[in-house]
Amino acid sequence: MKLLTKTSLNFISASVLFFLVGSMAMYFSVRNIIAEDLQNRLLQQKNEFIFTAQQKKVTDLTSELVFVQEIKKEQLNSFSDTVFIINDQYILYRKLQFTYLQDKQQYKVSILQSQSQSDLLIVKIVIMNVGFAVLFFLIVFFVNRKSIKNALKVFYSTIRKLEDFEVSKAEELSLDTAEVDEVKKLNAVFEKMSEQIRQDFEAQKEYTENVAHELQTPLAIISSKADELMQADNLTKKQMEQLALLMETTNRLSKINQALIFLTKIDNRFYREGATFSLNDLIKEKLTLFEEVIKEKNIQLEVDLSDITHIYMDKYLAETMVINLLKNAIVHNEQGGLLHIKLANQSLIITNSGKALTFVESNIFKRFIRSDHNKKSLGIGLSIVKRICELYNFTVNYQFKEKHIFTIYF
Amino acid sequence: MLKKHNILVVEDELELAKSTLSFLSENGFLPFHAKDLKSARKLLKQENFTAVLLDLGLPDGDGMSLVKEIKNAKKEIGLIIVSAKDALEKKVEGLELGADDYLTKPFFFPELNARLKSVIRRLNLEVNQEIVLNEITLFPEEMRTLIYGKELELTAKEFGLLLYFVSNQNRVISKTTLGEFMSSNYADYGFTDDVVYTHIKNLKRKLSSSGADDYIKNVYGVGYKFTVA
Repeated sequence: MKLLTKTSLNFISASVLFFLVGSMAMYFSVRNIIAEDLQNRLLQQKNEFIFTAQQKKVTDLTSELVFVQEIKKEQLNSFSDTVFIINDQYILYRKLQFTYLQDKQQYKVSILQSQSQSDLLIVKIVIMNVGFAVLFFLIVFFVNRKSIKNALKVFYSTIRKLEDFEVSKAEELSLDTAEVDEVKKLNAVFEKMSEQIRQDFEAQKEYTENVAHELQTPLAIISSKADELMQADNLTKKQMEQLALLMETTNRLSKINQALIFLTKIDNRFYREGATFSLNDLIKEKLTLFEEVIKEKNIQLEVDLSDITHIYMDKYLAETMVINLLKNAIVHNEQGGLLHIKLANQSLIITNSGKALTFVESNIFKRFIRSDHNKKSLGIGLSIVKRICELYNFTVNYQFKEKHIFTIYF
Repeated sequence: MLKKHNILVVEDELELAKSTLSFLSENGFLPFHAKDLKSARKLLKQENFTAVLLDLGLPDGDGMSLVKEIKNAKKEIGLIIVSAKDALEKKVEGLELGADDYLTKPFFFPELNARLKSVIRRLNLEVNQEIVLNEITLFPEEMRTLIYGKELELTAKEFGLLLYFVSNQNRVISKTTLGEFMSSNYADYGFTDDVVYTHIKNLKRKLSSSGADDYIKNVYGVGYKFTVA
């Protein structure tokens, strides 16, 4: 739920409750006040009646709303409601009864006051009050909403920018200047944090690259010593095999290391230069590198590059991408297998025969994942392809439908 | 060998320098060692070098600064940069400044040997360009092979292999080293031990059918040795 919706909802529900209780309380209190006022008026009329009765006969004082009746015994003052039916209309009256003594005769005097006027008054007052309150509420609601929205504008832009923030991308996180102190502080914290993250990220990558570089020299020493040892005259077969294995493993380690350096370099945005060139030509050119292997493996090659596709990439990365894809399709191919390369509709489709994967399909682009069929593979070529594709926002995916199918959408 | 070539090895890693020096002297070179830029400059003044193997990351500075100095002083000095930095830009920068070749650490000695010999051959035009080994005569520039004076047709990879073996006579060369050589020099990206084996088998077959001796010997199935008595 949005902050604005949440505060608005709170405001509305609190207001509704307040109006319900408030208007009811107001209705009853206004009614009370008016009733009291009516009673006071009746009492005043009673005083006026007594005052007039000192000069006149009581019985002459009857009128439309004053009734006088002879009674035997004295009665107490009392207020009551009574209803008259005038022209088929019920009219509610408030009645004050009291006893008046004149010439030794007790009289019961009833004074009436219509309540219909005051009822109307109550309704009018309540309606007016509630109306004003609702208007006031609406004004407050919209003004508040607008001001919160305004105040949070920078906040929302901050959120959008944070969503787009990628530590590996070149752009720094630059947030709008806020007027609200809290948002200002928040932005400052985020900017500082992103800067810190970026610095750590850079430092970590630099560290990776440095470590990888530093490893190369010791590897060179191991490899050179193994080579020296190998030249000894009196080595047994077993010793020679072990030395060869030592060299092979060292070489493998160095290859992994180099791939790691390469991946770090991609991450470090080392390859930033770009050029537009024909992918068709690049594929044709790189295919020649594999001619002999294709011949030796007796692979049936089908190339459909009729659809000219130009891409914008760093040339070296494009070469690496193509070579890795082709190498993968050839190395993991079988004797007399098929290799189909098609460039169409801004996509490159490479299909090759070969044994099914021995690992989960979705792991194919992960580093150091390789099939049991080819233990010598480093399992890093496809992850390099994936990383290069990510760099240029290309989509690369893999399917297995009796054959391995790799597709890159440019 | 007529005259021993003086080679300067600029390398701060002592163990690697030791191995390189002993390898070079085994292969008929006269190696000198400099552990930093300062001693390298000093040695360059004292001796007449045919080639320099230059490491880039030195304790007293970047070896790159030496590239121009060396080339300005004497153009014919072969200069091979040997560095752990595989960075493309370093390679390009080094070659642009005048280096003759660039080798990435870790490297294999036979590879260094082949490159060193190739650089020396290229720079010393007065020296005979052909390599003669008993009945085999190689013309590296033209990629021609003569056996007993008769032309032998070899593919580029086979010729490369033969030249590599001839440059590294009487040495056990592991399959790994050969595989690396094939993949880095002939962009043979599909290399496996099988591919190396196939190339060598073809080369051996062609050599023997043209009457040459069987120089290339398999060593316990883990490597090969070009044996010259």
